Amino acid sequence: MEKQLDLLQGTLDMLILKAISLSPLHGYGILLRIQQISKERLEIQQGSLYPALYRLEHHGWITSEWGESENNRRARYYRLTAAGKRQLQSETERWNQMSAVISGILRATPEEL
Amino acid sequence: MSLWTQFGSWTAATLRSSRMEREMDEEMRFHIEARAADLAKEGLTPQAALRQARLEFGGIETAKGDCRDAVGVSFLETLLQDVRHGIRAMVRTPAFTATAIVVLALGIGANTAIFSVVDAVLLRPLAYRDSGRLVTILMNGDGPVAPANYIDWRDQSQSFTSMGAADYWSPNLTGVDSPEHIAGLKVTQSLFPMLGIEPMLGRLFVEGEDKDGADREVILSYRLWQRRFSSDRTVLGKPIVLDGNAYIVVGVMPQGFQFAPFWATKSELWVPNALGSRLHNRGGNSLRIFARMKDGVSLQQARAEIASVTGRLEQQYPGTNRNVVVTSLKEKVVGPIETPLLVLLGAVAFVLLITCANVAHMLLARAASRQKEVALRAALGARRGRIIRQFLTESILLGGLGGVAGLVLAVGATRALIAMSPANIPRVQTVSIDFRAALFLFSATILTSVGFGLAPALQASAVNVNDTLKEGGRGASEGFRRSRLRSLLVVSEFALALMLLVGAGLMIRTFAALENVDPGFNPHNVVSMIVSVAGSKEAEAGHREVFYRQLIERVQSLPGVQAAGGINHLPLAGDLWGWPFLIEGRPKPRPGESPIAVYRMVTPGYFKSMQLPLVRGRDLTEADNETAPGVVVINEQAAKQYWPGEDPIGKRICFGDDTTNPTAWLTIIGIAKDAKQDSWTDKATPEAYLAAFQNHDYLGDSGTEASNHMSYITLVARTAGDPATAAAAMKEAAWSFDRNLAISQVVTMDGVVAEANAQPRFEMLLLTIFAAVALVLASVGIYGVISYSASRRTHEIGVRMSLGASRSDVLVLVMRQGVWLAVAGSVIGIAGALVISRLMAKLLYGVQPTDPATFAAMAVALGAVALVACYVPARRAMQINPTAALRCE
Repeated sequence: MEKQLDLLQGTLDMLILKAISLSPLHGYGILLRIQQISKERLEIQQGSLYPALYRLEHHGWITSEWGESENNRRARYYRLTAAGKRQLQSETERWNQMSAVISGILRATPEEL
Repeated sequence: MSLWTQFGSWTAATLRSSRMEREMDEEMRFHIEARAADLAKEGLTPQAALRQARLEFGGIETAKGDCRDAVGVSFLETLLQDVRHGIRAMVRTPAFTATAIVVLALGIGANTAIFSVVDAVLLRPLAYRDSGRLVTILMNGDGPVAPANYIDWRDQSQSFTSMGAADYWSPNLTGVDSPEHIAGLKVTQSLFPMLGIEPMLGRLFVEGEDKDGADREVILSYRLWQRRFSSDRTVLGKPIVLDGNAYIVVGVMPQGFQFAPFWATKSELWVPNALGSRLHNRGGNSLRIFARMKDGVSLQQARAEIASVTGRLEQQYPGTNRNVVVTSLKEKVVGPIETPLLVLLGAVAFVLLITCANVAHMLLARAASRQKEVALRAALGARRGRIIRQFLTESILLGGLGGVAGLVLAVGATRALIAMSPANIPRVQTVSIDFRAALFLFSATILTSVGFGLAPALQASAVNVNDTLKEGGRGASEGFRRSRLRSLLVVSEFALALMLLVGAGLMIRTFAALENVDPGFNPHNVVSMIVSVAGSKEAEAGHREVFYRQLIERVQSLPGVQAAGGINHLPLAGDLWGWPFLIEGRPKPRPGESPIAVYRMVTPGYFKSMQLPLVRGRDLTEADNETAPGVVVINEQAAKQYWPGEDPIGKRICFGDDTTNPTAWLTIIGIAKDAKQDSWTDKATPEAYLAAFQNHDYLGDSGTEASNHMSYITLVARTAGDPATAAAAMKEAAWSFDRNLAISQVVTMDGVVAEANAQPRFEMLLLTIFAAVALVLASVGIYGVISYSASRRTHEIGVRMSLGASRSDVLVLVMRQGVWLAVAGSVIGIAGALVISRLMAKLLYGVQPTDPATFAAMAVALGAVALVACYVPARRAMQINPTAALRCE
């Protein structure tokens, strides 16, 4: 297994939005989904997931309702709102630009200067 | 997110908080159990899986706390927590807390007191309906207006809904137990309805009552009604006797009503103004004009219209209607006091800034000793914002207590301010700590708290957890940033203090210059009083002269009185009348270019009583009576201005235009030294002293309406001892002639002079107090910084000394830091003072705003205080025992 990466500051919100944009999930499900997509390469502080969820809900980007889990337990499911969809889109764009710029800088060779 | 949605979220969160707690619990439990179940599938025992799941999750309480923070639920809870914590911290350090509260109370209290004065005097609208539309129209913005001009302006202008005029009139109230001279006004009927204030009892004047013959009605002020008529409602409709005539009381104005607001401010009664025969008079300027602008008409438009009306009238009647000025009534009332009050407000704000800097110092020092506490909290997971918030809560708590103490102080200070304020500050009696002042105090408290608390909070929260905890709080070296911030605070305190000192210094110089002004006469041991004959038997034509002569003779013979005389209006205290005159043998001057002189009527003995020397010629004597040729004494300025290079003595002048009447021509017999006339800082203007006993108007036997204008005399007596004792005897002497004589305005000339200088004294006093407070705070500030940094450098000093540094080296080392701060502060302070002193130029007299001596003296004084403040800790550092200093590490 490759070494796990610490999550970059501020990216957790984006990952959560992405995770639940695919389907409504409960908190633990979100954790599993992110780990699954990232092939377990990202380390997420499990406890920090919930403040992020509360914050996103407070912003109105996600909403929640109580439902039944896979093993018939009461669990709180989160779903993206329209505002959340827009937010995810703009965050994704920003991230792509930023990573393109930064990787461009990091690839720079003496000849290019 | 707007503040409002945030607030809404807090409230909602607080309401549903128990549900949220339950759900949070359930949600996190679900997470951990689901994770444990997954772990168990991987082969862990149920207990091990649960433990592992909990471990992976991390601190549940931290997560919950962060969740609460995320939706804001815990705002109130956190606040309560911080307040509790803050109170504990304050109780632990009572000396610190008490000092901070006292310093803050001084700063906030003084600011609130000055603000309440500025608010009541400057900011509030005048107490008339829609008072922003009221204006006053005066000659040169200041002088009274002739009746015919008033009538023309009223009839020819379109900008005003109404216009009214007032004349000063101070009658004797007789027929009640003791006669009294009462200040009042004659007002045209249009005036009171224009102000929009309803009478408390009865009615205002109705149309037609300001016509001749219908004008014997009077409206009383609340105070007069209370004082003289025992608040008796049945006084309505009854006659009262004013100057010997019966006037029917038609109304009583409500409490607090004042008119006019900028002149004759002590008026207590109002009667209709029957212009009558004066309607066509373009010469006798005596009216003050008030008007209400129509809605939608701006002050500029009103000015433009009056300018065009008066321009036309000046063409028609040359020499009249020149420089007629429309001023907003409020501007006229508060304009003269605006600059001094704003200067005081600025000064007191500086004091508050210095207070803030000082408390910030104290908090910084305390924050240093609380580093360990902060580091511990940070290690336990408190975020920086959280720590800043806690520190700010503490400083607001401290500021709040300071504010409460400041409120108590402000109430006392406001009373003291009212008591010591000069009489010419308008509306000062309405000053109080009311809702607006309280609001100001509240905002000042919050701003101050954040002001002094923010820097220490930011700094305290920026701790390096590991270093602080490892060092065990020894803190051998103070961070550069922290010491820089403290130095910055000291430098700004010094700069502000120096600006205040320079301001106070300039006022002290001003006051000293005013004290040295030569009024021309000798004001010590002179007492004066107005004796009014109106309404008494002495008022009768032909009798006044006899009475006045006998009265002066009797006063003169009183024990303790060295000289006595009479004058129509006392210089500096009384009215001032300018009168144009003609000089014999010179061509008739063009209109508006006549020589003019302040017109005083005196009896023999006046010059002697005032010790106003005659430079040339002779004094008036008893022989200058009605049958002798008319004589006049002029002042030096009149001689210089109208007879340059000539000897005026023996020349003849004529007041008025009755040149064919031989008795109207007066021969100049003497030249008196220039005396102050209207205000203490006046430049000398021409003045003429006429012989009262040669003047028919004055003696009441000319049979004209003017005879009542002059129905009083201002007695002036020079006393050997206490003027107050002599005053009592003088009153008795007057009443021994007639109990119906009204005696008023019993004053000493010293008192009149003090009153004339009351405003600069007030300004000087307050600025000096502020500067003194600033000086103390600044020196405490520099003392604190130097002694703190010296104590922090004990180790370093010990090393230096063991390496051979002498005690004087140590002294220099410690003092150098303080001296640099003081010098830097002084340089900035001087630069600031150069800017600021210019703003107070209007307040100064006899000293330049950039007076180098004042600047230098104040900088030196501040420097000396700084040296002393630094010397104390430096001396202590000098006494350090190097071995002990090194061992205690």
